[in-house]
Amino acid sequence: MLALSHGGVLNDRLPADRFNEIVLPFLGDALSLARWLTGNATDAEDVVQEACINALRGIGGYAGGSARAWLLTIVRNTSYRWLERNRPKRVQTVGDLVDLEEATEGATSDAIAAPDAELMARASTAMLEAAIATLPEPFRETLVLRDINELSYREIAEVLNLPAGTVMSRLSRARGLLKTALEKLS
Amino acid sequence: MTLTDGNISTMIHALVDGELDAATAHDVEARLAADPALAAQRDSLIALRAAMKRVPKQVPSDAFLKKMANLQPAEDNIVRPQFGKPARQVSRSYGWQSLAASVVVTAFLASGATRILMMNTAPDSFVAAITDDHRRSLLAGSPFDIASSDRHTVKPWLDAKLGLSPPAPDLAAQGFALAGGRVEIIAGKPLPALVYRHHEHLISVVAEPMNGGSAREPIDIAAGGFNMVRWSDTGFNYYAISDTEWADLNSFVTLFRDAAAPK
Repeated sequence: MLALSHGGVLNDRLPADRFNEIVLPFLGDALSLARWLTGNATDAEDVVQEACINALRGIGGYAGGSARAWLLTIVRNTSYRWLERNRPKRVQTVGDLVDLEEATEGATSDAIAAPDAELMARASTAMLEAAIATLPEPFRETLVLRDINELSYREIAEVLNLPAGTVMSRLSRARGLLKTALEKLS
Repeated sequence: MTLTDGNISTMIHALVDGELDAATAHDVEARLAADPALAAQRDSLIALRAAMKRVPKQVPSDAFLKKMANLQPAEDNIVRPQFGKPARQVSRSYGWQSLAASVVVTAFLASGATRILMMNTAPDSFVAAITDDHRRSLLAGSPFDIASSDRHTVKPWLDAKLGLSPPAPDLAAQGFALAGGRVEIIAGKPLPALVYRHHEHLISVVAEPMNGGSAREPIDIAAGGFNMVRWSDTGFNYYAISDTEWADLNSFVTLFRDAAAPK
């Protein structure tokens, strides 16, 4: 915790040192995730600043493993709390999510089956960004963690607190939805 | 994760993401080879991954970085070492003298002098380290970190890990099937290694990037019970090691050089 007495150490290291090693190298990753959860880069800075304060406070709880996954878990939780406070209309409830998974189940298997490597090669960055923005939150965060943050399935499961199987099915649906969105945009 | 009739689509994602173990990757690729529609799904996914790589990542501004670094309580500032601070800030405190000195050092390192030193001293320890890694890979559950017979999967994977990838020609038609890739740590440096399968033998090809240097013809080296061939071509020193016969290993090297040569 922050309120260490003089000379107090945690895991033989000052929290500030650990913060430098565990948090600062991954600020770009933190901003990228927050940008896609909040929708813009300015809100992302607010969220990441709050997440950094939370990370500094909880740094003693970091027990090794992927530092990036540890930080992104905090960024994600902070994002959703921040959105609830500042953008109450955008937050999705768990009920919505279940409906969503059911609603998209049939549609995406067809979408993935349609082979269109060319569409992907043609897609401009602006089109891709617009398409990512249309994805419902659970799919958007899974896609961003994998294809922008380049986390492994195991790390994504850790950040989202989901079984690996759910991560896999969510990712494949997310990519199917992205492709459908790109087709509509092009 | 095992392949079933119902999960082939998900498994193709896992294959493209480099998340499958060797045996499962092999099963999935067998299905892809037999079904053009599934192969098209994979191609579409590879294209999607490539497209997503074009989406710009957020980069913290200097001001934001500084602000985050200063979130820490004042009493820590007294003892906080520079470790972990952004390199940008550290380098700014260096004067022009040290910059000039580093230019001189770099120039020396890049010069032919060190090249010759390295050529004379490196191979023995290099050969031993590559031999150990090859032996270890045979004992490990999987001889590769990424299992794929598709060079369009292996190359981007190595590229993502190391920022470089050697040519990875597919020589399946000539009896040497690409089986996967892995990263080896040789003399403290991470290097790309390709794994080929020839009948029941595995051949590891370690590629060490070289600065300049010219092509060198293959030399046979006996390496701790294995056969090794060393050669150099555009950009890389190659070491191919296997327990296969010399004749097979030499014909592999000929085929590899031929297929990897710039057309």
